[in-house]
Amino acid sequence: MELLEADILLQLLVGGLLAGALYALLACGLNLIFGVMRVINLAHAELMLMGAFGAYVLFNIFGLHPLLSLLIIVPVIFVMGYYFQRVLIERVVERPMLTSLLATYAVSIILINIGLLIFSADFKSVPVLQGSFLVGDLVVSKPRFTAGLISLVLTVAVYQFLERTRLGKAIRAVSEHAQVAQICGIDVRQIRMLTFGMAAAMAAAAGVMLSVIYSFWPGSGIDFIQKCFAIIIIGGMGNFVGAFYGGILLGVVEAFVGGFFSTQWAEAVAYLLLVTVLLIRPTGLKGVARA
Amino acid sequence: MPEGSQRLISFWVGTVLTGLAILAPFGVNEYYQSFLLQVFLVVALAQAWNLISGMTGYVSFGHAAFFGVGAYAGALLLTWGFPWWAAILHGAGIAALLAVPLGFLTLRLRGPYFAIAMLGLNEVGRIVATLWVDVTRGGTGFTLSPALLPSLDMKYFSMFGLALAATLLVAWVHRSRFGLELRAIREDEEAAEMVGVNTTRNKVTAFVLSALIPGAVGAVYAMYTSYINPSSAFDHARNIEMIVVVLFGGSGTVWGPIIGAATVMVLREMLWAQFPAAHLAALGVLLLIVVLYLPGGLVSIVRERQQRRPDARPGESP
Repeated sequence: MELLEADILLQLLVGGLLAGALYALLACGLNLIFGVMRVINLAHAELMLMGAFGAYVLFNIFGLHPLLSLLIIVPVIFVMGYYFQRVLIERVVERPMLTSLLATYAVSIILINIGLLIFSADFKSVPVLQGSFLVGDLVVSKPRFTAGLISLVLTVAVYQFLERTRLGKAIRAVSEHAQVAQICGIDVRQIRMLTFGMAAAMAAAAGVMLSVIYSFWPGSGIDFIQKCFAIIIIGGMGNFVGAFYGGILLGVVEAFVGGFFSTQWAEAVAYLLLVTVLLIRPTGLKGVARA
Repeated sequence: MPEGSQRLISFWVGTVLTGLAILAPFGVNEYYQSFLLQVFLVVALAQAWNLISGMTGYVSFGHAAFFGVGAYAGALLLTWGFPWWAAILHGAGIAALLAVPLGFLTLRLRGPYFAIAMLGLNEVGRIVATLWVDVTRGGTGFTLSPALLPSLDMKYFSMFGLALAATLLVAWVHRSRFGLELRAIREDEEAAEMVGVNTTRNKVTAFVLSALIPGAVGAVYAMYTSYINPSSAFDHARNIEMIVVVLFGGSGTVWGPIIGAATVMVLREMLWAQFPAAHLAALGVLLLIVVLYLPGGLVSIVRERQQRRPDARPGESP
């Protein structure tokens, strides 16, 4: 009996870590945008769904494996995000935060409903990876393992990019203090466009990973954006590493609540965590100072 | 005095519109009466949202939750045999009672954090309505038997009364010291606090008042459609509509939500039946345009024209 429980705990932990890695990829992108331009992108989950529907379309029309479509979708959405910043977000980035909140909210509504027009409200999935493998007594689902691992690799890669390259340092500099960065000769506008492109690409990659695990429809975003908020508030607004740990934490807590209570309660965990954290610290946990 | 004559114009336009709305059921067919009822529904909800978000700048993405609570309270009371007006009062009361603790909890959060916290509220309402089967009958929802329902005229006048009450409430708040303090919070909360404004009490009061209206409107809505379920009572589209209508017309003003509601409802009537998704996408585009190019809403166009002619006295022209 003791042993069995230890098994279940390990099982839940691994499941939670894998789901958490996917959340982390999504939330790190959202937090990158917030860090660099103090914009909360309410359309972030819809960018993710673009990735998911992209994978769905490429699979159904060209029979492309989602892991291959990643190579197409990520650059395409990067370019899209880059121009999205240039055309839309640049106009609201200097205005009060509520303006950008409403603008990205509008974009989210538009994207959801265009999605509904094209794909209807039916749930879609990309059933390519199936089954599971055993590690000792541990059952690991193949799609979840693949999605979790790739999410982890991508998040770490972006982190390394931010830490090590000149461009990454420029992004961090703008995030720390845009005006000083500007004075030091960094093209802040350019950095903001790059950042949005990167964050959009991360969201889209998360979407492709999502498509191999879950079913989704154009309105799925609300569940994920809710989770993303919980994560970035737990981890600290604008803090990349914080969002990573926040994502992992949420994944694990959800897995345990789902395992011991019910999956419906697990859905509410993110919201409860979010509200709890906000109530303890009304301006959010540590993170970038508010501009 | 431009201020005084503006009030006079407002008063007369308001009186004429009120008169027309009261006479309308005697002159139009049921289709138009229904349409007007829905316009009043949107006006009342928009004014409610205006009261908290337009006045204080605390953007609520979850106000439809109060509407859902009111709809369920109203439907339950009707099935228990209470008269329709008691159902409306209880819808309002229960929504307001919920808003008190909720307001104290969430309004401590500043700007975007409040918006984030409210974003999930409507969703929580929907989940509770789905899971709490004993009371809400879960996903099956309520069908109200026609015998329990008041006539269309009664529903029409109830909804009109709510739209009028909500508008008068906003008009009163707009002029009162309370409203001035709310706008001070919107401009600079810390400064408002420093000059002695009790920001918490004001914010919570505005929040509770703004929950009262959707609660009552929800109860009338339940009577109007005679069927509610979790997804119709806690419809996220209603949040979008409230926000779009207020911003389109002009937030923080008395007339903005009315002008916004009339315009958006006519647009919606043209698009709605065939393409629900296209209708919402259109609302999204509208919202985007307003946010980018017309931050003051339609009302601001009139205002600016007046300001451009400093010698013009609106009261003098007929």
